[in-house]
Amino acid sequence: MLFPTLAFGVFFLFVYFTSWSLDRENGRRKVFLLLASWFFYAQWDWRFVGLLILSAVLNWGVAALIARNDNATQRKWLVALGVLVNLLILGFFKYYGFFIEQMADLLTQVGWERDLPLLQVVLPVGISFFTFQGISYVVDVHRRTAEPADSLLDVMLLMSFFPQLVAGPIIRASDLLPQFARSPRLTREAATLGLLLIVWGLFKKTIVASELSVNLVDPVFFDPSAYGAFDIAAAVYGYAVQIYCDFSAYSDMAIGTGLLLGYSFPRNFDQPYRASSMQQFWRRWHISLSSWLRDYLYVPLGGGKKGLWSSSLNVMITMLLGGLWHGAAWTFVAWGALHGGVQVIERLGRAAFGGRKVIPTAVGVLVTFHIVCLGWILFRAETFELAWAMLEGLGRMGPLAVTTPFMLGLIVIGLGMHWLPPRAAEGLALRLKAAPSLTLGLLVGAAFLLVEAMRPDGVAPFIYFQF
Amino acid sequence: MADHPDDPKDPRDPQDPVDPFPTDFPQPPPSRFPPVGQEIMPPVETPASPPADPVDPPSDWNAGADAHDLPLDTKRPSRLKVLGQMAFPPPPPADEEVLAARDRRWTTRVILVVAVFMLVFNGASIQNWARQQAPNWFTVTVQQVADVWMTQVSQLGADRPRQAIRDAYQDAHDARFPGQDPA
Repeated sequence: MLFPTLAFGVFFLFVYFTSWSLDRENGRRKVFLLLASWFFYAQWDWRFVGLLILSAVLNWGVAALIARNDNATQRKWLVALGVLVNLLILGFFKYYGFFIEQMADLLTQVGWERDLPLLQVVLPVGISFFTFQGISYVVDVHRRTAEPADSLLDVMLLMSFFPQLVAGPIIRASDLLPQFARSPRLTREAATLGLLLIVWGLFKKTIVASELSVNLVDPVFFDPSAYGAFDIAAAVYGYAVQIYCDFSAYSDMAIGTGLLLGYSFPRNFDQPYRASSMQQFWRRWHISLSSWLRDYLYVPLGGGKKGLWSSSLNVMITMLLGGLWHGAAWTFVAWGALHGGVQVIERLGRAAFGGRKVIPTAVGVLVTFHIVCLGWILFRAETFELAWAMLEGLGRMGPLAVTTPFMLGLIVIGLGMHWLPPRAAEGLALRLKAAPSLTLGLLVGAAFLLVEAMRPDGVAPFIYFQF
Repeated sequence: MADHPDDPKDPRDPQDPVDPFPTDFPQPPPSRFPPVGQEIMPPVETPASPPADPVDPPSDWNAGADAHDLPLDTKRPSRLKVLGQMAFPPPPPADEEVLAARDRRWTTRVILVVAVFMLVFNGASIQNWARQQAPNWFTVTVQQVADVWMTQVSQLGADRPRQAIRDAYQDAHDARFPGQDPA
């Protein structure tokens, strides 16, 4: 069940009315939301609802043991166990095939060819997100930065709550558990913002991302040799816009849906292509993942405490593993290496120039954007050969085949979004919250109609579902 | 209380008879706005209030008051408003729970307006959705209901805005650069 579908609209209306009719009974409301979330998840594959429950029970149990234990050594062992179990679940479902193939190749190269047990493991949707959520919960309880949940129900709902279940944002226990502890409150401002974010997300996903994907990006990345430099460049820029509009649309709709149900999620995107350095880019792109990697990987590795070279190494390791998180393929590792390498160069540069600003902001934005685009080629191409063919094609002239005025317009719109006033949706919500319900309803209805009338039939799954 | 003149007096009883119209007024303060030609007096310092006296004061005269200190806003509320407030007194200030319920109702009304708006102007989406589903009792029923609904709303012209937007969008979609192959 995808967000921009009629089925989800009907499902959401049912959940909205039922959950608010239970608002005086917070416990029953949470049970209902949990059942609704499991139903939502079961639409992909009902078998993995069991995995979701198992993962929640494991994390709840380990966190409860940690919270009740005062022995520092035992607490360390317990948190290590919790993290290990989560990584084993993630590793089996997501990386088993990849590692077995790599192992088989390695053994063949050293002359010890073996028949390794290959399995066709189906990847549960959103597994990367809910296992990272589980890890953060266990670690936060160990660090005492989050209170253990009052009940198993809260942990289950934390890990299964349908708006953020399949593609984030990765919401931490310290953000959501306190909200589960009391009956939620729906304000006009939150409701208005929620509706605006849903409409905005719908526009970005169903029009900008879908049109660019079907008519420009997919054909060019399928066979770059058939296109000239302009089409290939447009496809690369188009993919930069597509992946932003696709993923940030999901986050917007998740945050909007959460707000309408009375829960607040953290921001996940903040106009990332305005970044004037790679470090800044990662403060604006998929913020919940980058802050997760910082707190649970970069900092435990030592962070920046031991000097420039140590911090550079830690950044590199973090970005490599961050790349691998996105998918079990060497192209993702290379993508992580590119991002990590540029960040290391930036650190060295800052150290060499004593922190002085030597590159103008506009140049920094332009350079960072093009490095990010270079990374998107690796990210989108399934093989290095395909990525190389894309780069080669940038030097080959040819007629415009798939780049149309409409596609260029969508690219301009997608990039232009980054120069809207920051927090524009929040500002608009503040103005509209005073409107009568009929006026706002008609305005939002007209915006929905505009998007619905333009969108192509059908909708592709969100890109980040595969991660 | 003494009921008869010969009864012994209770010292706690006030002096009898109580004068309902006391005449022993203290001297009123000089006005800060005397008639033209007289000397302007400095404002009178209101003496600190005396300690609470268990006996009622002789009158309600306020020695520190000055008519010029009275509020100038003498606009009287309309009689209709006064009458309305008598008939329908304003409610007490709402508490947190009432405000929350009010916001919820407002949101619910917005969502219902959006849903009805979409049902009227975007009924084609339901029709399209039903046609894309595998045929079973439910989807066939939805499709038949959606067909009837679309026939009815199209007679009112409610399908035209959607079609107009779609046509304009399609034109923009099909536009090509000069010399480029058509779609």
